[in-house]
Amino acid sequence: MALLTALLASLLLQTGPAPEYQVKAVFLFNFAQFVDWPPPAGAVADTAAPLVIGILGDDPFGPFLDATVRGERRGARPFVLRRYENVADIEACDILFISRSEAKRMPAILASLKNRPILTVSDADRFAERGGMIRLVTDRQRIRLEINLEAAQAARLTLSSKLLSVAAIVTPRRR
Amino acid sequence: MPLRDRPIQQKLTAILLLISGLVLLLTATAFAGYQYWSMRRTMRDMLAVRGRVMAANSTAALAFADVTHAREVLSALRADPHVLAAALYDQDGRLFATYPADLPVTAVPATPGPDGYAFARGRLAGFQAVAEAHGPRLGTLYTASDLDAIYDTFRLSGMIGAAVLAVSLLTAYFLSAALQRAISAPILALADTARAVSGRRDYSVRAPPAGRDEVGVLTDAFNQMIEELQRHATELEQRVAERTRELEARAAELLAANTELDAFAYSVSHDLRAPLRSIDGFSQVLLEDYAERLDDAGRDALNRVRAASQRMGTLIDDLLKLARISRAEMRTELVDVSAMARDIATELQRAAPERQVEFAISPGLKARGDAPLLRVALENLLRNSWKYTGKAARPRIEVGLVEANGGRAFMVRDNGAGFDMQYANKLFGVFQRLHSADEFEGTGVGLATVYRIISRHGGRIWAEGAVDQGATFYFTL
Repeated sequence: MALLTALLASLLLQTGPAPEYQVKAVFLFNFAQFVDWPPPAGAVADTAAPLVIGILGDDPFGPFLDATVRGERRGARPFVLRRYENVADIEACDILFISRSEAKRMPAILASLKNRPILTVSDADRFAERGGMIRLVTDRQRIRLEINLEAAQAARLTLSSKLLSVAAIVTPRRR
Repeated sequence: MPLRDRPIQQKLTAILLLISGLVLLLTATAFAGYQYWSMRRTMRDMLAVRGRVMAANSTAALAFADVTHAREVLSALRADPHVLAAALYDQDGRLFATYPADLPVTAVPATPGPDGYAFARGRLAGFQAVAEAHGPRLGTLYTASDLDAIYDTFRLSGMIGAAVLAVSLLTAYFLSAALQRAISAPILALADTARAVSGRRDYSVRAPPAGRDEVGVLTDAFNQMIEELQRHATELEQRVAERTRELEARAAELLAANTELDAFAYSVSHDLRAPLRSIDGFSQVLLEDYAERLDDAGRDALNRVRAASQRMGTLIDDLLKLARISRAEMRTELVDVSAMARDIATELQRAAPERQVEFAISPGLKARGDAPLLRVALENLLRNSWKYTGKAARPRIEVGLVEANGGRAFMVRDNGAGFDMQYANKLFGVFQRLHSADEFEGTGVGLATVYRIISRHGGRIWAEGAVDQGATFYFTL
């Protein structure tokens, strides 16, 4: 928690370049508050099932993401961190951060994740245009959000209007 | 004017007004107090509700560090002109955004305080946690509102309240002025009647009947008393008239009797004088011209005749004097009794210088009456005293003033022969003598004369004495 506050504090006061990925870690964690996942088909939703945050590709967060989610819960669901090398490895995951290192393979990744109830987040270029759900844009000491609402809706994820209100809605390019 | 002396109508009206005024005031105060408390509570609740709504709207802005959006959310407070300031703090307690956007940083607290709202320093302000449902705390919202809403409402209801109070009081005044008459009217009527009776002594008035309450009882009793008074007054008048008639008749009788008596005494004395002169005259002739033809026994007899007739003459003279006194006119003036007594004492002493008599005359004795008559009375009294102290060892005659019978009386006292009190009522009778002529000479008319003189002055005379221990004569004028 202390990390969180220090993070945001340094961001606001601009006392020094807050580690970018400190802030992004907090954002990743906060997304969980503003997103509703569909209940799993068939069995009744297990409200105590862990909420999985996954990282696909290189982990840019360092110690930050671990520190941010340690001991936290969303309701009864404890946060769990997983790291993946391949898309195929992803089983139960709620939020997936796709690292920039995967930029070239992005279309394939997104295609395989299509319609799965996973919130895809990345800071890779044109992530939202290409079908990703939330892109983290670094803009002059600020991190903005770009959201591809269609993609989220296709995956049956409900994004809170509050989240939408602080983000720029992006429509994917039609080819 | 002390409370007790104010008219009953004023008192009643004042009491009624006071009570209704007090009740109204208490009610108004209670309502005002409740309203104030209620308003504050409502205001706080409303601010709290608004705070919760705003906090809910601010979660994303705080979660994702969107200052612009945070300001946007806060600016919704524009709608309420009473909001003084608002601010969002992040999880660290650092100021994140303010409303109005250009608000100086000193206008809001530097760090958030405990959650909750409170009235302080003329404003209502407080803190609200910002978090998504079941989520961790994302930050804190601060809002501050002025209290003008309360004051405005209060002012309005205050004015309305004052108006209602004024109208109610006015109504109460008129009502009480009208209703108190039910109590005071019969009392006032009674008071008026009482005043008429005591002021004009008019016993014919009656108080108007006044129902059967206590005032009615009072009125009835009062009327009864007046009737009694009236009856008594009439009775008394009748009796007084009767007595007066009786007295007048008696007085007339007495006057007639006295006049008759005086006339009788006068004419008798006069008629008796003539033969007396003959007796005395011819006796003298006999004594002078026929002295050598008479022997001693004869001369002695004739002397005796002369003495007796002279004595009779004196008696008749005294009687005449007495009669004259009754008929003479009286002239009232201030008389120096002390001087008169001293004069008489000097005369008596000069007439009989061989006698040593001590005179004690109080100075400054004065009386109002007919001077010559008073002189006669005083002469008779003093002469009596002089006479009857003839045999006393150390004769002493006092003249003074004493307190007697509830008033003041003149007093002539001697330490001479005195008299037996048994015969006191005979003292003042005509020709009444309590001593024989051998002991003391006198005609027995002196005291009767004094009695007559004192009576004519409207006074009283009485005597006290004891045998051989002197006598005291008291008289008033």
